[in-house]
Amino acid sequence: MAEYRRPSTRGHLLSTCPRTVLRVVLACALAVSMLALSACDGSSASDEVIVNGSTTILPIAEIAAEQFMDENPEISVLVSGVGSSAGIETVTRGSSDIGTSSRDLKTEEETLGLVDTPIAYDAIAVIVNPDNPIRELTTEQVRDIFSGRYTNWSELGGPDLPIGLVNRDEASGTREAFNKIVMGDETFDIGAVILPGTGQARAVVTDAPGAVGYISLGFVNDDVKAIVIDGVVPSEEAVVAGTYPVSRILHCFTMGEPTGLVKQYLDYVLSPAIQDTVVRDAGFIPITAKEAFDG
Amino acid sequence: MADEPMTTSTPSESKSTLKLMSKSMYAKEAALRNLFLLCATAAVAGVALIFLFVGVRGWPIIQDPGLGAFLFGKVWSSSTDQFGILPLVTGTLVITIGALLLGAPLAVGTAVFLSEIASPRVRSVVRPAVELLAGVPSVVYGFFGLIILRPIIANLTGGLGFGPLTAAIILAVMIVPTIATLTEDALGSVVPGIREASYAMGATTWQTIYKVLLPAASVGIIDAIILGMGRAVGETMAVVMVAGNAPQFFQGLGEPVSTLTSQIVIDMSYASGTHRTALFGMAVILFLISMGLVALVRVISNRKKEG
Amino acid sequence: MNKRTANRLALSVLWLCAGTTVAVLGAVIIYVFVNGIGQLSPEFIFTWPHGVNAEGGIWPTIVSTLYVTGLAMLIVTPIGVLAAVFLAEYAVQGRLVRIIRFAADSLASVPSIIMGLFGLALFVETMHIGFSMISAALALSFLMLPIVMRTTEEAIRAVPKYIRWGSYGLGASKWQTVSRIVIPAAMPRILTGLILATGRAVGETAVVIFTMGQAINLPISPLDSGRPMTVHLYMLAMEGINLPAAYGTALLLMIMILFFNLTARWLLRRNRRMQG
Repeated sequence: MAEYRRPSTRGHLLSTCPRTVLRVVLACALAVSMLALSACDGSSASDEVIVNGSTTILPIAEIAAEQFMDENPEISVLVSGVGSSAGIETVTRGSSDIGTSSRDLKTEEETLGLVDTPIAYDAIAVIVNPDNPIRELTTEQVRDIFSGRYTNWSELGGPDLPIGLVNRDEASGTREAFNKIVMGDETFDIGAVILPGTGQARAVVTDAPGAVGYISLGFVNDDVKAIVIDGVVPSEEAVVAGTYPVSRILHCFTMGEPTGLVKQYLDYVLSPAIQDTVVRDAGFIPITAKEAFDG
Repeated sequence: MADEPMTTSTPSESKSTLKLMSKSMYAKEAALRNLFLLCATAAVAGVALIFLFVGVRGWPIIQDPGLGAFLFGKVWSSSTDQFGILPLVTGTLVITIGALLLGAPLAVGTAVFLSEIASPRVRSVVRPAVELLAGVPSVVYGFFGLIILRPIIANLTGGLGFGPLTAAIILAVMIVPTIATLTEDALGSVVPGIREASYAMGATTWQTIYKVLLPAASVGIIDAIILGMGRAVGETMAVVMVAGNAPQFFQGLGEPVSTLTSQIVIDMSYASGTHRTALFGMAVILFLISMGLVALVRVISNRKKEG
Repeated sequence: MNKRTANRLALSVLWLCAGTTVAVLGAVIIYVFVNGIGQLSPEFIFTWPHGVNAEGGIWPTIVSTLYVTGLAMLIVTPIGVLAAVFLAEYAVQGRLVRIIRFAADSLASVPSIIMGLFGLALFVETMHIGFSMISAALALSFLMLPIVMRTTEEAIRAVPKYIRWGSYGLGASKWQTVSRIVIPAAMPRILTGLILATGRAVGETAVVIFTMGQAINLPISPLDSGRPMTVHLYMLAMEGINLPAAYGTALLLMIMILFFNLTARWLLRRNRRMQG
């Protein structure tokens, strides 16, 4: 419960919180922490759904919870961002109903009886200035650009122009994903500009000819150019087909098949009311897009 | 408190008031005085509490990896658990010096203008402007710097526009009110006679300013600049929005750097363990710097009074 | 170069300095005004933000800002004013007063980010108050204390001595003189100082970002968390997706601060006219 109260720039940045419910939650949290009790022991009441986990998913889960509660005032959904691993752990131990995660299960977690409900695709586009003639890069090249091995576009067959790296802050879910998928064991160049927001990263790439950055695919617009990676054009279709390399799936894990209120909430998250608006506004690709392409 | 001789500001006054007072009234007066004293010591308590609570959180970083490794470590990287603040200190220093180079002449010039040249009508426009500049929130300055100034600097330097130059320009504007107001006070407290004597000798306005007034007010102006420096060192939100926040050593005016304050804001939301300790340790360093500057001002002013 | 040319040159440089200062202020104000004015509407002010990118209004952030500022004023006013009364009327020059003044000066120059971390360490975590209006207000009050102390002390010292002598001559005690004569006489200037401190609190970001929380919420009790306008502006600006709302927030913030500043100036001028 103490975790819930730690500020998460990323998590709360774009979210609104349900009014009275949040107040109740905070009052509870306060009382609980004052008494030095661990909220983790408490079992959830029958009309409560507790959602713990990934900060990347937090904005979706929170706004879904808010709208869900507007429609079903008798149910309260408590959402907190504690990180994917902690989310999986709490749902396994039974102290939460849903564990959200931006990573797949580890081998040792696969036997725990967790059931996966994928809710969205998180794809990341590498963006450059539209005037930059570079169109295509391999994952290795992207890694070497961001680790600082390349410092000039001419080394990659482009113009003689210094590369300006735009990185995100470490609290960012986009950075976490990019780091895991692209960087691997390499570390980011320490000289990269660190920006705590997607829009600013895009704005900088828009007006600086040598700049390169990465943002969620959903936020790519005509002001920037998304790089073709390993021969795959970053598009919704490629992400859904699983061919675009810089992407991952956002999961909701439950112990056993979701039932009752938990199922009701997850169904709501998967409904067009969330998928077509909230998921897209957050820069992700709806999981329902797969059906559209398959059908 | 009982040791302090009198309840009032001058001994003779207090003796005469005491004679007219009843015992209960005296007790009431003394109690009130002690209440006021208690309020006044709130400032002292504040400084002590800040030092205590920020210091306790930051203390472990001094034990491990040690003060030397913390202050003079060349790498700040949370992923490898290396927390050397030398690059951040350098960043703070470069930006502060830049802000002073740009801001101090502007501020002193504005103050001299207000005090010596401006007609009352012009003054009634410029002085409120200076005061309002002080009131603009730092986050608005940062926003302005991010959206308007950064692209301009990017064009000038060929980089991305984040870095010491952008930060120094924004900070220069922010310290102008601090330095200008204090400098104007210093000029105002120069004995009027020497000004008139200078004019009577046939000196021009500029000669009077340059040869008479500025030397006479020099101590006050230096104090003003030091306090402006304190403001620049501690400024946070505006810097975090334009400095680029890359914890590397100074590479050039248009290359990103990070500062003590901006690193705290960027990292605090997710830092834990040693990382969090290091951030509190940085706050202690900042606190010591700002108190040191205040003490410096005291020393300079006292020396002048004695001399 | 003869002295007249030098004089003319130097004076034009000084004009330029003052001109630059005024121009910078003008640029900031005009920039915020031009970009923000289209955004201001009753909907923007009185409705809630919604959606991932905080579309809609900013009402809860306005309430949070006013709430925390009001609370901080309630805390700091009595302490700051009484401390100033002590320094101006009771204090005997000595080590104690020197220490108090040094502490007040130090407090005034403490970077606000440190005040934020201090509030986080003491009120939020050690005292378990959590991210709340009261935690933020307590941290803010330490920031405002030296401002209130200084302006109030100046106000009290500006009250002419003969007024006090008159009071003593009529047999009034020290406290009677201070409370019924000196403070009322100094009141307009004390109020001016309080209003200026309020303006400072409204524009403060680094203190509240670590003490109030960052989730959008409409605070009712002092234990509620919230997100003030400055933090909202910082987040919108840095996220950079919903810039119109950022401009609107910036403009509203500037209007509030201008309002406080102009009120303070007006009070001061009115007072001067009444005395003169």
